Amino acid sequence: MRKVWYKENPALLVEMKEEIKDDFPNLHFYESNGVIVVEGSFPIRHDKKSLDRYSIKITFLKDYPKSIPIVEEVGGRIPRTLDRHMNEKGEACLFLPEQRSEIWPIGSTFLEFLNCPVHNFFLGQSLVERGEAWPFGVWDHGVRGIRDYYVQLFGTEDMDIVIKFMLFIIAPKIKGHWPCPCGNGKRLRGCHFPFLLELRDKIPRNVAQRSLQFLLEAKSGKRKLKDNLI
Amino acid sequence: MDNEKYLKEVLKSQTLSFDGPELAALQQHRADVENLLRDHFSESSPTIRYGGSKAKGTMIRDAYDLDIISYFPNDDTAAGVTLEDIYNNVRTALSKEYMVEQKPSALRIKGNSKENLGVDFHIDVVPGRYTDASKSDVFLYRSSGEKKRLKTNLDVHLNHIKNSGVTEAIRLMKLWRTRNGLSITHFALELLVIKLLKKRQSSSLTEQLEYVWKEMRDNIDNLSIEDPANPTGNDLSDLLSATIRSTLSYVAGTTLKGIEDSGWEAIFGEVEENEDNKTARLKVAASSVVKPTKPWLDYEKGMV
Repeated sequence: MRKVWYKENPALLVEMKEEIKDDFPNLHFYESNGVIVVEGSFPIRHDKKSLDRYSIKITFLKDYPKSIPIVEEVGGRIPRTLDRHMNEKGEACLFLPEQRSEIWPIGSTFLEFLNCPVHNFFLGQSLVERGEAWPFGVWDHGVRGIRDYYVQLFGTEDMDIVIKFMLFIIAPKIKGHWPCPCGNGKRLRGCHFPFLLELRDKIPRNVAQRSLQFLLEAKSGKRKLKDNLI
Repeated sequence: MDNEKYLKEVLKSQTLSFDGPELAALQQHRADVENLLRDHFSESSPTIRYGGSKAKGTMIRDAYDLDIISYFPNDDTAAGVTLEDIYNNVRTALSKEYMVEQKPSALRIKGNSKENLGVDFHIDVVPGRYTDASKSDVFLYRSSGEKKRLKTNLDVHLNHIKNSGVTEAIRLMKLWRTRNGLSITHFALELLVIKLLKKRQSSSLTEQLEYVWKEMRDNIDNLSIEDPANPTGNDLSDLLSATIRSTLSYVAGTTLKGIEDSGWEAIFGEVEENEDNKTARLKVAASSVVKPTKPWLDYEKGMV
């Protein structure tokens, strides 16, 4: 059986502690039930001044760094509601899993995680709490957010074409002589081949597979989500 | 700014104004809870009073709370025959309006509406029964630990803390606890600080805090606390479990190292600004973000 990440690579844990200790001295690492947990107060800073603080807990699952750490607000300050992008367990939904490679690709540091998606999320919460809009916008909830992402990505609202593109992301391999999923009649090599090869590197296959399943279920009406709009 | 002055400024920034939104919300919730309990237990005439950091004078902005004690007369059985019945009946009554989180002797109330689901109102309701007609000592139900009953006295607790002479150190230690996400209860931390500083009331705040942290770092296994309302009867050892002790010791050590390496601001941060202009400053902070990110919500992970 494979060891958990911090036993297999203890140097990574040491490195993570070291890299955040100056900027986030109030965040502490603990081992709890076989996972690493970081707890403490997270400051929203600008110009080296703290504008706000949140009590947070970050859990690194056994398959870290493959998995995205789970971020929770534990102070009970943020409502566990759709509009605040918190599930009922108090877990924050920082970004769409599809965007991981743009926001915090595998191999990025924990400090970068704190300074980018975590910082942006709680900065947004502070503004929303004061009646302002989310500063960088939001993805719609559930399958609608997934649909919007792929519609933007592929530049079409035609869900049949979106789904064809996604099948090409998931496929074990794609060949240049295949017809392009965009539907213009060209071969892949003369059309969206480079674009798809790049996406296959960016979006993990399991993430695309899961999203495709949601979109297909929503399209066929099998998915009983209240926001099933497709 | 010298260190003493800095700590005083931190304390000032942590003081909630009497007409501020936090205390106004607390007062409103307190009134709502009192009405709910009086309606539900109209036959029992409970005594309903303030406790917690508001009553003790140790409130801080980062972790303010209010205990609403709800004590029933010693000869009343309408609210429940046993202490456990009282605890459960109060929980049931509160559940009509709030999400209720069970604590060993108290009930934490949180929002349960669409707008405020899970929001912590910073209020613990503490049900109990007076031991006799003098309405002084009370028995509380305890859902964890070996003993299912605690004998205690709210006024003794309040006076022990209010008259300790170290409430400023307590407030700063509570801030330290919150900032570092420590699981020791406020009550246990207050008792520990008072005990450790018993002979150091006239020391400066920096000396007091450094002494407490040094004791936590170097002597954690020998530290103990007693309930001032029942020193020999109530076992508080589970409030200082082995996990809590080791965490306190570790964080106290890193705190002292932080002071040594970088000074006191490394511990409590820069003195935070008041609410004025905060929205504008947050907007400026947002405009300077290099890599914007948009949140999403995954229904598959617990939201339906």
